[in-house]
Amino acid sequence: MTLHLLHRHVLEDHLAGFETSPNPNHVSVVRRPVILSVLAHGDLEAFAGRLAAFSTMSARFCGPGEWLVVGSAAGADELTDRLGEVAGLSVCDQSDGKVVMAISGPSVRKILAKCVAVDLHQDVFAEGEGANMLCCHVACHLARTGADAFEIIVPRSFAGSVFEELMEMGREYALTASFAQS
Amino acid sequence: MTSYRLDRGGAINRAQALTFTFDGRSYKGFQGDTLASALLANDQMLMGRSFKYHRPRGPVTAGSAEPNALMTIGSGPRAEPNARATMVELHQGLVASSQNRWPSLRYDIGAVNSLLSPFLGAGFYYKTFMWPAAFWEKIYEPLIRRAAGLGKLVLEADPDRYEKAWAHCDLLVVGAGPAGLMAALVAGRAGLRVILADESLSAGGSLLSENVSVGGMRAADFARTLAEELASLPNVTLMARTTVFGWYDDMVFGAVERVQKHVASPSPELPVERLWRIAAKRAILATGAEERPLVFGGNDRPGVMTATAARSYLNRYGVAIGGKVAIFTNGGSGYRTAADLTACGVEVTAVIDARPQSIDVAPAGIRVIRNAGVIGTKGRHRIEGLLLDRSGFEEVVGCDALAMSGGWSPIVHLMCQRGEKPVWSEEKQSFLAPDVGPAFTPVGSAAGLQTVSDCLRDGAARAMAMSAALGFAAHAAEIPDVEGEYDAAFAPVWYVPGAKDKAFVDFQNDVAVADLGIAQREGFRHIEHTKRYTTAGMATDQGKLGNVNTSGIVAAMRGVSPAEIGTTTFRPFYTPVSFGALAGVARGEHAAPSRISPLHGWAKKNGASFVEAGLWYRSAWFARDGEKTWRESVDREVATVRAHAGLCDVSTLGKIEIFGAGAAEFLDRVYCNGFLRLPVGKARYGLMLREDGIVFDDGTTSRLGDNHYVMTTTTAYAAEVMSHLELCAQTFWPELDVRFVSVSDQWAQMSLAGPKARLIMSRVVQDDLSDAAFPFLAARAVTLRGGLKARLFRISFSGELAYELAVPAGYGEAVADAIMEAGREDGVCAYGVEALNVLRIEKGFVTHNELDGRTTADDVGLGRMMAMQKPDFIGKRLSTRFGLTAADRLQMVGLKPVEPHKEIHAGAHLLKDQAKPSLANDQGYVSSACFSPTLGSFIALAMLKSGRERIGERIVVWDALRGAEVPVDVCSPVFVDPETVKLHL
Amino acid sequence: MASLITCPHCGTRPKEEFSIRGAAAPRRPSAGDRDEVWYAYVYVRDNPKGLTQEYWHHAAGCRRFLVVERDTLTHEVFGVTDAAALTRKEAAE
Repeated sequence: MTLHLLHRHVLEDHLAGFETSPNPNHVSVVRRPVILSVLAHGDLEAFAGRLAAFSTMSARFCGPGEWLVVGSAAGADELTDRLGEVAGLSVCDQSDGKVVMAISGPSVRKILAKCVAVDLHQDVFAEGEGANMLCCHVACHLARTGADAFEIIVPRSFAGSVFEELMEMGREYALTASFAQS
Repeated sequence: MTSYRLDRGGAINRAQALTFTFDGRSYKGFQGDTLASALLANDQMLMGRSFKYHRPRGPVTAGSAEPNALMTIGSGPRAEPNARATMVELHQGLVASSQNRWPSLRYDIGAVNSLLSPFLGAGFYYKTFMWPAAFWEKIYEPLIRRAAGLGKLVLEADPDRYEKAWAHCDLLVVGAGPAGLMAALVAGRAGLRVILADESLSAGGSLLSENVSVGGMRAADFARTLAEELASLPNVTLMARTTVFGWYDDMVFGAVERVQKHVASPSPELPVERLWRIAAKRAILATGAEERPLVFGGNDRPGVMTATAARSYLNRYGVAIGGKVAIFTNGGSGYRTAADLTACGVEVTAVIDARPQSIDVAPAGIRVIRNAGVIGTKGRHRIEGLLLDRSGFEEVVGCDALAMSGGWSPIVHLMCQRGEKPVWSEEKQSFLAPDVGPAFTPVGSAAGLQTVSDCLRDGAARAMAMSAALGFAAHAAEIPDVEGEYDAAFAPVWYVPGAKDKAFVDFQNDVAVADLGIAQREGFRHIEHTKRYTTAGMATDQGKLGNVNTSGIVAAMRGVSPAEIGTTTFRPFYTPVSFGALAGVARGEHAAPSRISPLHGWAKKNGASFVEAGLWYRSAWFARDGEKTWRESVDREVATVRAHAGLCDVSTLGKIEIFGAGAAEFLDRVYCNGFLRLPVGKARYGLMLREDGIVFDDGTTSRLGDNHYVMTTTTAYAAEVMSHLELCAQTFWPELDVRFVSVSDQWAQMSLAGPKARLIMSRVVQDDLSDAAFPFLAARAVTLRGGLKARLFRISFSGELAYELAVPAGYGEAVADAIMEAGREDGVCAYGVEALNVLRIEKGFVTHNELDGRTTADDVGLGRMMAMQKPDFIGKRLSTRFGLTAADRLQMVGLKPVEPHKEIHAGAHLLKDQAKPSLANDQGYVSSACFSPTLGSFIALAMLKSGRERIGERIVVWDALRGAEVPVDVCSPVFVDPETVKLHL
Repeated sequence: MASLITCPHCGTRPKEEFSIRGAAAPRRPSAGDRDEVWYAYVYVRDNPKGLTQEYWHHAAGCRRFLVVERDTLTHEVFGVTDAAALTRKEAAE
């Protein structure tokens, strides 16, 4: 017996019925992200530069010696293997445990001001920066990926709650949502 | 006609007429009106009834301190009680109704209270309704509540949306009057991130109401010019209709923005109110000053209001408060009011000045009566004349409105909300803001200044200093010339002696001067005691208008300076904030975020009923056709697991991945049992204690590699265990190389239990699952047929042969479907947490029902797990102390009712047979109870005094809540398969 | 309504992100220490009016235990330090 197992995204039900033509303010949900937790051993501060050397991924700072690595091309297994070759790092797959919501548009900061307490002014929270923080009452990771673009990484079990609140906060700015075109 | 709309003037839009109703009658106003100004324009001075005596009342102010003109706005679920008509922006179709009157505002039966007023003074509740005590709750209080009061609470659900948001800035300016506008402009030009918040719909503050010219423009036009420049600066945010109501720790300010309170039908895309938390590096208080009412006999008659209010209605709204206005003043404000009224063609009958002499000059032709005081007023629903006393000579002066000015009180509330008290200034005869450090400072009239030009200068100078302190180079702003300003200096008059009627100091709570006297005589002398005894300064206006007069009058009565009396404590909120704004979106099912298991969809399509467990929704049971009660479903599920197999969602267990060379040592220290020699590929049940020796949590930990483990926790304690591990690793033993990360959300985890579990699991998993190849407590990575990588653990919480399979969450539903399909012919069923609970009670396994924060490992029969030979582990040292090892501790036992169908409930207490129910006879309690379909009997786990040596004894389960006493036999807590044969099939 | 703590790893954050875990000064005794020492460690805490050192666990942020030095009366915060770094420094001294 061979099993043909369908992978199901936790926001499948939430996103059904949303328009496909995005408005200027839009949430794009990555269907199959590659996300790894990377933990450093020993000197917790020593590894940041070495993670930056991987061109196919972006390492998001979570805390001392801890990152969420978000892959852009390589699969989880391949990335795990490559990171695993770096001595002093532990790696574990979180691709199914996290949901990536990319939110962008001219009103993105006004929407996020209703979701997070952190000052997202570009002088304070610049492009490329990221941190764990409460977003819609849930501990999430938020990173700035552009002047008007952010990525929110949400624990899977909370994703429905966070997504609904995010959309509610975006109502006055006509926020739309869809799965990303992969 | 008494009060009326002038033919021209004011900042209202006369081209935009609006229709509204008050108490069912239709009126017309203009865009730009407040409800109060529109009512006055329609000669409706009577706007409310007072709280206690039901006295007729009109507005005393034109702003947010208003104590009298409280109304209910809107109807149905949107009705808002206690709205201040002076702050409500008029809109088309607005519906307003008066409060605290019956049958109507003009003829109010409750006004009989006024005749009883000699008996209703300060302390009246305390003195009159002392006895009998039982009467208070049932009779007196309902009566008083019916007779006295404000608006009525709306019980329907609020249909509108509310939001909360954060804002961040270098400088917050509270108030957009002359000082605030100038401060924001200087800081904004210098490049600071500035937020300028004002409670009104447009910036300007007193500039909108004062008849002066600034920089060659009308003051209101000057304000608009400044606001326009501010709006053009990208680093400046203007927040209109926003009241900053609180100053909190670390320079966070609370503010409420009325986004859609001024529209007829709110858009569903927008909130009606938005609660802001504004984090500011620096803040400027530019809230201005409140004009004090004068305290004289009959000062609450409708038509008596502050001189500022009279000017505001005149200059901002184009409304004359009367046709014949008298003025009673102790300073320049009264004279300015006389001049403004006269200029608009309104008759001023007299300026009564309490001072013997002054340099202030009234307009030509107006009678000035110096060294005089008003001691009474005439009229019922509106003032018709006043009685004044000039050195013993009484005189009646005709009027249909009275503008009064008792001097100025800087509005310093915000700066006094974090413990500092306002400071009395003899020079200013006012309470000034305390020094709270360089981050927050008052400017302009909030700092005691009085002229517009002083305010402009002060705002600019303070903003320069603050900009420099934050490292910005600010340029000095040119201060425009101000023409036509007046000297607002005053000589304090706390109250006017010889009152012929009540002289009110707190209008909203009907507190008169005499009440303050009673409080002093009866010993409630501290100002906080005076407040509680008289209610001065309570209720919705919190004494914004009356508090300073209260302190001044008490000081005068005692012959001391107000500095010695001080003020009561100022607390947030400055003005009332709706519960809707405070709650934001967190209401109903969104009160807290919810957590959904990766198997939620699987459970749903299998007919699950869900139960909330913390934030999680867990599948409780799976009803099938024909099953009428949850018990029927649960009994069937339990029987199916024991006979065949069942699949249960255990994804909600906490899962923590642990890495590091020090991981084994770390686990050995946090668990009370040994973990150093756990082999790779094996799981072990572990018990964690708290440092005080009591059990903290339990679960299994599996070793997946030399330096790699995965720990499971209970659902309830997942977060606590993670924090506990972090505490241990970071603060107790930072030298250990151990790192961990929660993977609770990564894995869908399901337990397949029952004699046919291996058979079914083998159809899904590629690996050899024979007992030899995958024995009890095996734990390792496996591959599903089709190639998916998974983790399999042979662990059991039911006593049956069981496997826990973990797959990446996105595949959870598909894998659970596949297992159900693979086991269909063998009778597999889905089972929920209710059946899970029965299965574990039948086996005597513990949960947090037993591990309730009071029990030791030994109490629940796990004493032998404690590896006392280990040098140290969390809880070791205190677990051996006398109290935790005493022989008469409660110990876990099983209970079986003598009659099998007598139900036992958890929480019931235990008694010796024949013993009377009492605390002294208490022998313990039932921790878990259920019906066991396997035994055909109710069973229970219980904590019983010296329980283990009492197996076989007959005792009584006493359930006082349900009035039941059930005889039971004490037995072993393992009801099913005590030889654990089934586990090792 | 709000107060802010500046986490050395994450920046300025609202108090909702933290859970306060009690006094930071007491050190876990060794297994062989006297009963009185253990008793004091587990049960006895000061309730100071004024300066205090507390553990604030940044539960919704970096998940580090921070030592927050603050005044309980005014909530003035004087310093926020990573607890592990502090413990290591103590051990080195």
